[in-house]
Amino acid sequence: MPAVSIKGVSKRFRTFPSGQARLKEALTFGMKKYGRDFWALKDINLNVERGTTLGIIGRNGAGKSTLLSIVSGILQPSEGSVEVSGRLVALFALGAGFNSEFTGRENIMLNGLILGIERKEILERFDEIVEFADLGDFIDQPIKTYSSGMRSKLGFAVAVNVEPDVLILDETLAVGDAVYKETALQKMYDLRDAGTTILFVSHGMKTVEDFCTEAALIHEGRLMTTGETTEVISEYQALVSSLQTQRKRQRKAGDVQVPGDIALPDEEAVVLGEDTEGRVARLRSGTGEAKIRSVELLDESLSPIERKIEPDSTVTARVHLEYLEALEESEIIVTLRNKAGLEVLSISTTDDGSPLEAREKGEQVVVDFTFKVPLQHGIYILTADARVASEDLYLDRIEAPTRFRITRPSDRDAYRGVVHLPTEIKVHSPEGEKQGRSA
Amino acid sequence: MFYQKRWLIRYMVQRQMARSYQASYLGLLWAFLSPLLMVVLLTLIFSEIIGIKFKEVTGNPSLNFGLYLYCGLLPFLAYSQALSRGVNVIRRNSGLVQGVVFPLEVLPLTTMAASLVQNVLGVGALFFVLVLFGQELHLTALLLPLVLIPQLLFILGLCYLMAVAGTYVPDIRETLRAIIRGTFFITPILWPTGRVPEQYSFLVDYNPLAVLVNAYRNLILNGKLPDLESAFWFTLFAVALFVVGLVVFNRVKHNFADLL
Repeated sequence: MPAVSIKGVSKRFRTFPSGQARLKEALTFGMKKYGRDFWALKDINLNVERGTTLGIIGRNGAGKSTLLSIVSGILQPSEGSVEVSGRLVALFALGAGFNSEFTGRENIMLNGLILGIERKEILERFDEIVEFADLGDFIDQPIKTYSSGMRSKLGFAVAVNVEPDVLILDETLAVGDAVYKETALQKMYDLRDAGTTILFVSHGMKTVEDFCTEAALIHEGRLMTTGETTEVISEYQALVSSLQTQRKRQRKAGDVQVPGDIALPDEEAVVLGEDTEGRVARLRSGTGEAKIRSVELLDESLSPIERKIEPDSTVTARVHLEYLEALEESEIIVTLRNKAGLEVLSISTTDDGSPLEAREKGEQVVVDFTFKVPLQHGIYILTADARVASEDLYLDRIEAPTRFRITRPSDRDAYRGVVHLPTEIKVHSPEGEKQGRSA
Repeated sequence: MFYQKRWLIRYMVQRQMARSYQASYLGLLWAFLSPLLMVVLLTLIFSEIIGIKFKEVTGNPSLNFGLYLYCGLLPFLAYSQALSRGVNVIRRNSGLVQGVVFPLEVLPLTTMAASLVQNVLGVGALFFVLVLFGQELHLTALLLPLVLIPQLLFILGLCYLMAVAGTYVPDIRETLRAIIRGTFFITPILWPTGRVPEQYSFLVDYNPLAVLVNAYRNLILNGKLPDLESAFWFTLFAVALFVVGLVVFNRVKHNFADLL
């Protein structure tokens, strides 16, 4: 039986334009509707096995905290159900219910009771908690004399020292000084190794990558991916960078869009990696005088690449462009970005020596961009734009990019840098020179 | 269900009390001192300055009106304090509602218990002054706990209902203040029961607070048993109110986190 099992959970919030509207609806006992529904979560299904450390990632407002609130029983799901086996401790705010007049010791008891721990059990673990909090003589002082870091330490000490079966953490690791952080992290590892199931919300990808055994990506209330941590993180970073690109582009081309030809940018499609045709149909903007019919990614033998390629191999991006109007000039730009959104490569037909020249209405061109990818492993995103350089006008562009993964090199360690530039290495030593060459 | 959480309740009451008197040097001692000050003040004003003798209202010349007033005020203060805090209790403790998994039904109970502690200390202050003024102490005062139990259920029931109402509609807080002030005047605290005109006698007969006020006065000041029939109906009403309040509260408490 999984430690946490989330079945079809959705959460609806009602939002009201004003307090009066809320009152009106309350007074009619909901017979008349004045508010609006907002779905913070939509149909989440997730099983967390015992002993898993699950990192939950996503953008602000994606619904991560709502999900954890529902798992911990603070919020009720509007639909679906959650089952938790064992004792659950949720830490959304450290030191809930602390009374600043009470001493540290008294607050340990108060906070422990508030977290739902038996008094006997708190007494048994009292010394451990005091030791872990590491507050010295302050433990007998009213906590109004504490710094905020000390309060958090105390709260954290209570929560993690009662051995929860399921621990829910919401970015609470980021408290205290460096020494304490280390202790706290060590404790988290201990709990993890002792078989505690941990659900962890964080924006710190490094922490998630180091600490979690699995990760889940939530985007706009939906569960996008779950699975191996690094995979999910790459997915998330790809999502973020494509959103950034999209926003930037929208700003640039904002007023040259032709109404009726613009589909709403659909972030899901970006993440789900739907087929090119579907994406082209749904996600594009520009004047529409020329259309990019497809972007294909081909390997050395010009057969399509199925998501993965070896580093250092040669890749061809094949762009089909169709002219719907006659144009004096135009160019195609192909851009390759890594998961952090960094432009690794950007090639333009005009700037790089193959201008497209004047074209008739209805004419079609196919342009191959062939380049080597001596790049670090990870997810890469390829986008194509058609534009008129002299007028800074976008004809067409594809918002949903073509994604592929560059694998780790099979014959050596992973590349450390973003790009593995051909480098000559010479070792000078007194006995004579030896030459080495890389890549 | 409350027994399991007795320690939590104890600490929560302590926390509430500590909050009320925080940042004063005498701290919790004020829970006893402030009613004492009040009873002394009322006694002095009404016996020495205004000089209303108790005989004018009930014919017992040795009592002064200040003591009579204070004795009636005790159950009313417990009621008004618990209610005005209870209506706000969920919103004030939003950290517990949204931050942890907390048995919310404990919160109104805490409010009620804190006001009960103050009530008991107030009774203590009254006895202190009675002894000080050389008044006769009646054995019937020992029966006071029997009144406290239905009083507690009555107030707790109201607290649960008010906590629900105040969470759903924050505006209730303001309304409640007016209601509490209103009940003060329609309850025989300032005025004696006997002086009610015939057509308004329902104010005394069907007013649960009037039953409490009269029971306190009879047991402590007059050495008489309260009217058993009204005490019976009051107890029944209090139990019913408590049950309804708790059931309603438990039914809707899951929604509270959404509402804050």
